[in-house]
Amino acid sequence: MNDRRRKVVIVPCSGIGKTYGTVSREAAYEVTEDMRPADTQLVALSLLVLGDEDARAAVAGNPAVTIDGCKLACATKMVEESGGTVAQDFAVLDAYRRHRQFKPQGIAELNEGGQKLAHALAEEVAAVVDDLSRDGGEDA
Amino acid sequence: MPEFLELTVDKFTFRTATDRYYNSEGVWALTEGNRVRIGLSDFLQQRSGDVAFAEVKPEGTVLALGDEVAMIETIKADVSLPSPVAGKVAEVNSSMDITPEVINQDPYGEGWLAVIEADDWESDRARLLDAQAYFALVQEQAEEEMKKL
Repeated sequence: MNDRRRKVVIVPCSGIGKTYGTVSREAAYEVTEDMRPADTQLVALSLLVLGDEDARAAVAGNPAVTIDGCKLACATKMVEESGGTVAQDFAVLDAYRRHRQFKPQGIAELNEGGQKLAHALAEEVAAVVDDLSRDGGEDA
Repeated sequence: MPEFLELTVDKFTFRTATDRYYNSEGVWALTEGNRVRIGLSDFLQQRSGDVAFAEVKPEGTVLALGDEVAMIETIKADVSLPSPVAGKVAEVNSSMDITPEVINQDPYGEGWLAVIEADDWESDRARLLDAQAYFALVQEQAEEEMKKL
């Protein structure tokens, strides 16, 4: 069956070795693999940086939600530079300010606080995905 | 507007305001009569990273020189900030509760932490670094950081 629904593209931070980057990716995985697999597509920031055609086409043809690990906002900037539209940008630091009880630590493996923060952020992203899917999920 | 000494290391540029004094940890002190406004140097805020939370000792707190006047939690670490002056906390920047990122955005201006009623500013000042001396320390510390990369 051909899936004609537009998917929301999720683009997390690619910062390797950074706690907040790891939180952004864990949140993205949870949304795309567990929470909203039918409505979302994960696009690796590194592919956009490399100019991968499929990745560029995905962000150019679908609304994007970015999850940045720091104020450099690489994910948001790269989606825009790739011709995409950022429907909503999230920053892990802002999420932490909203959920101070979940202090993230660790890099390869997040501590419990980091995992909970990623989950809380994933729920916020999923809510935006739901809004976007309601607003224009069908292709014309 | 203060003037600045600027140091560029790799992709980073660190500014040191010339109109104030610094302790070696990078907390600046700017006199306003018998009151002293304090905050983080540009080098310290960049080195510490994006600030998530800032907790400044409340008004009325009595501080000895070097006592912790604030704690900032950044994306990298929790950083304890020693007071560059002894005295009583007279005013706390209310932005610290709501928008502590102002420390990163404007460390020498809107990102100030507190105002201290100094017990003996002249005595404390003698223990602080002037802008040139602090700038030299920043150069030294920045070069040390580069060697770790």
